Amino acid sequence: MSLVLLVEDEREIRRFIRQALEGEGSEVREAGTMALGLEAVVSLKPQLVILDLGLPDGDGVDFVQRVRSWSQVPVLVLSARSTERDKIAVLDAGADDYLTKPFSVGELLARVRALLRRGRPGEALESPMSRFGRIEVDLARHVVTKDGQPVRLTAMEFKLLSVLLANAGRVLTHRQLLREVWGATHVEHTHYLRIYVAHLRQKLEDDPTQPAHFQTEIGIGYRFQF
Amino acid sequence: MSAFQTSSAGKESGFRQQLQALAACVLITLVTQPLREHVDLANIVMLFLLTVAIIAVWLGRKPAITASLISIALFDFFFVPPRFSFSVNDAQYLITFTVMLMVALIISHLTAGLRQNAIEAQQREQQMRALYALAQQLAGVLTVEQAALDARNFIRQLGMELHVLVPTRNEVLLTVGGESVELDVAEMMVVRSAFSNNAAMELRSESPATLILPLSGVTRPRGVILISAEREVLALQRPLLEAVASLMATALDRLHFVEVAQQHHMQMLTERLRSSILAALSHDIRTPLTALYGLADTLTLPRQQLPEPARETAAAIRDQALRLNNLVSNLLDMARLHAGQVQLRKEWQPVEEVIGASIKLLGTALQRHPVKVHLAAGLPLIEFDAVLLERVFCNLLENAAKYAPLDTDILLGAQVVEGELEVTVANAGAGFPPDKLLAVFEPFERGVAESPLTGVGMGLAICRAVIEAHGGGISASNPAAGGACVRFTLPLGEPPVIEQEAGESP
Repeated sequence: MSLVLLVEDEREIRRFIRQALEGEGSEVREAGTMALGLEAVVSLKPQLVILDLGLPDGDGVDFVQRVRSWSQVPVLVLSARSTERDKIAVLDAGADDYLTKPFSVGELLARVRALLRRGRPGEALESPMSRFGRIEVDLARHVVTKDGQPVRLTAMEFKLLSVLLANAGRVLTHRQLLREVWGATHVEHTHYLRIYVAHLRQKLEDDPTQPAHFQTEIGIGYRFQF
Repeated sequence: MSAFQTSSAGKESGFRQQLQALAACVLITLVTQPLREHVDLANIVMLFLLTVAIIAVWLGRKPAITASLISIALFDFFFVPPRFSFSVNDAQYLITFTVMLMVALIISHLTAGLRQNAIEAQQREQQMRALYALAQQLAGVLTVEQAALDARNFIRQLGMELHVLVPTRNEVLLTVGGESVELDVAEMMVVRSAFSNNAAMELRSESPATLILPLSGVTRPRGVILISAEREVLALQRPLLEAVASLMATALDRLHFVEVAQQHHMQMLTERLRSSILAALSHDIRTPLTALYGLADTLTLPRQQLPEPARETAAAIRDQALRLNNLVSNLLDMARLHAGQVQLRKEWQPVEEVIGASIKLLGTALQRHPVKVHLAAGLPLIEFDAVLLERVFCNLLENAAKYAPLDTDILLGAQVVEGELEVTVANAGAGFPPDKLLAVFEPFERGVAESPLTGVGMGLAICRAVIEAHGGGISASNPAAGGACVRFTLPLGEPPVIEQEAGESP
């Protein structure tokens, strides 16, 4: 059974999230402020933290940075704000995923399941082989096949693909991906990233205009979905 | 101001000046009489010429001519032998007289000319000063009425009558500042024509005549002035009057632009207040909406084991909450776009990325309306704000789905046309009402006035605001083949160069 810490000040929002998660068999603890939330992260050692960015007593970026200084617990951010800047800041600080209010129970549970699965040690990417759609990727041998036929990827494309695969289910900001693949000097060159994601979609997606796996998080970054 | 008055002031003063000239000549005769024995006659002549010159300077041309003639007569009578007679012994003196007369006339002509110039210069200077004073007054006025009154007082001091007529909002010319001028229909037509043609005209040619001068502003005629006075006076003062008209036009221009600026400022303040209220409202509305949506959604889950009608009710509550949320989002977007608070975060990116994301975001809303995407090959990167353009695509696709029969395709195309990226979204619906092709982009306008379909019709207005902020254009049309089509364009610009990776096949 997994323990989820819910940091949210609105009682009714806490109520439905708790109901939804408990229905899935998780145990839920609640904190009404960021200060209490930080204490609870330390004392409870939850498997997942759900954090509302609109708390009156604090700054989500600060919260995530302090948690990240000693823990890799997945953090799912709830944001009511329509500006993308706040979401990017908290994702860059180390949050794993975000949901924009209002969200459905289905969306919430899907994200929670994905993050809990990632959080479980030893399970992610044990095998160098990944399969999605008609594609098979062998990370060890640098081979990608579509329906058994080899697909030629450039070195950069393969590097980008492996970073996305390693973080499957997570939102990666443009900045994170650029730093990971091209290096810290290229973090402003978002058009490079966009072009290479477009290449991957052309080569690996059935319909590049409506991608099933290489998903765009508009204004924020990308997410790979199996 | 007395200097402006033309010297019709009198024959009386002219007569007095002649007498003064006569007196001066008599005086110099008396003064020089005792000197006759000691001084040469040639020098006496000089003293007479000096007198004529002084008279010319002091009294002007006519008295100087009189003085010339009188002084010759007196010189002849009292000095030239035989004395006390006009007869002359020595014919040489005829030359003296002739030269004396000519010199006297020339002197009087020249000095009188100088005097006239001095008087005119003085008059001009006074006019300039008065005009400058008027300009200063007009520069400080706060109302059209005050400007008209100032100009009226100025003209009245010159002995003329002035009326200022300015157009009302519906272009009727009305007198401002003072009692209104009485004009018959024909006269009013002349005034109107002077106003609309921006040309000076004469209203009445017989004295007292009336002159109409247009007040031509920078962007349009601001009105006319009517000046009534004697015909000659009008002709004489025409340059001054035109200067007054130009000052008046400048003042009215200034007042107009001050008013425009004030209106704009007020509008901006109102707009800002409105958008801050909307922003606060929508934030406060969204929190309970999230709870409402989530709680209702929880009830629809199978494990709640609710009876079917209750589950349907819960789903309906959830859907209505979502609708309310979309409404709030649109309102907030509109408010922010209108208040100019949106800073575009433009980045170079492929347009298909935002198309794909929009289709995915709409998800179930497009279930019964498959989107067929046709992108021209090799589309360049475009510089745009992805978040805002996603709103555009979502609104266009949502609209296209809303007004199309179920299970018909939505066609989305993109291509480069004449140096711009052209994007079209078309459906198989009934099309826009032909008379509303422009109005649909206005906030709160919907294609079909009493349609049972939902939405307050802000979607297209938001699209227009976003596209225009990007320097593009948007339009609606009903293609001949049927359905409705919205087309928008984005400028291509110069995309950054991507270095080819080593070993990459182009």
